[in-house]
Amino acid sequence: MTPGRTAGTGPPEAAQHGKLGMERRDFLKILVQGILVLLSTLAAVTAAIFAYPARIRQKTVQFIDVSSEDELPGRGIKRVVYEESGRKSIVYLAREGDSYVAFSPVCTHLGCLVSYNRSQNRFLCPCHGGKYDASGRVIEGPPPLPLTRLPMKVEKGRVFVGFKV
Amino acid sequence: MGKIFDWIDAKFHVKAPHGGFLQRRLPEGLSYAYCLGGAAFTAYTILLFTGMLLSIYYVPSEHDAYSSILRIQHEVHLGWLIRGMHKWSATILIIFLIGHTLRVFISRAYRPPKELNWVVGVITMVSCFASGFTGYLLPWDQKAYWATEVGTSMAHTIPAIGTYVMYFVRGGIDVDGTTLIRFYSIHVHWLPLGMLALLWMHFHMIKRQGIKRPL
Repeated sequence: MTPGRTAGTGPPEAAQHGKLGMERRDFLKILVQGILVLLSTLAAVTAAIFAYPARIRQKTVQFIDVSSEDELPGRGIKRVVYEESGRKSIVYLAREGDSYVAFSPVCTHLGCLVSYNRSQNRFLCPCHGGKYDASGRVIEGPPPLPLTRLPMKVEKGRVFVGFKV
Repeated sequence: MGKIFDWIDAKFHVKAPHGGFLQRRLPEGLSYAYCLGGAAFTAYTILLFTGMLLSIYYVPSEHDAYSSILRIQHEVHLGWLIRGMHKWSATILIIFLIGHTLRVFISRAYRPPKELNWVVGVITMVSCFASGFTGYLLPWDQKAYWATEVGTSMAHTIPAIGTYVMYFVRGGIDVDGTTLIRFYSIHVHWLPLGMLALLWMHFHMIKRQGIKRPL
């Protein structure tokens, strides 16, 4: 048996002391322990960074100016196009009794944009045939929930619709 | 470090029973081929660790699985790294495992009295393949879906019971949300825990029987 290959349990007097005043065995032991400590520290730090949430902020409702008060529909539903930070978006404003509601055009099934069909008086989804009536209730197709009603207010002649951001 | 460990060991007595394993004499002529099993085990521990991390963010549902993968990849801190490590360690594990199996086979280390350890090793290897197969579905993209569709449809070809085996594996007629949750459960609970038990047996038999002297 060669000493290099066997894990030596040999007599201590046979041990060779190097310049560090340390046996080869002890040096390797400390090296391996050091590597293990280093690796587990690295893993713990990486895990902590990974688990720390990337997005920490409260979702707040932000009101966006979508049109003037004059454009609110006297009755029925109106499609309103507004521009927000350079992107055109759509919201449906509807009269319900004495008040107004704002419908999000996002289909509650898989997020396609529905369009209002005046002759049928329905919101139709082009993707999977979802149909909603004029008050946003599901009539046909796969949508699990009625159209989302967005918070809305009228101030100083302008219509504001609230979005969660 | 040593002092802290010694204090723990004074209560726990974990050092003494493993001394014979860690300080044992090894046969002459061992080569790096004898490290393949250890390398595979290292890959397994990395997979266990990164997998546990990924489970913090992964959502095993038909609707959210794919978007949660996108979130891990693009939004979560170091998510790309953890997911990448999980994916590549899985590949490397299979390579090391095949290498280790070949080494054991070539050096005839499967012969009595070590035949039970060979059996345990083969079951572990099959568990690893099953982990790879079930884990492949979890991203829930087209590739994952069709790979599972094809893979599970193979069960259908078993005579007589094939159709029922396929229903059992898929949790229904088609690959759908039920299959996803099923595979998730197998991938993160059943197989890793099973393999832990198998590896414990594997290592203890090595401890009792020693490493086979090279040819």
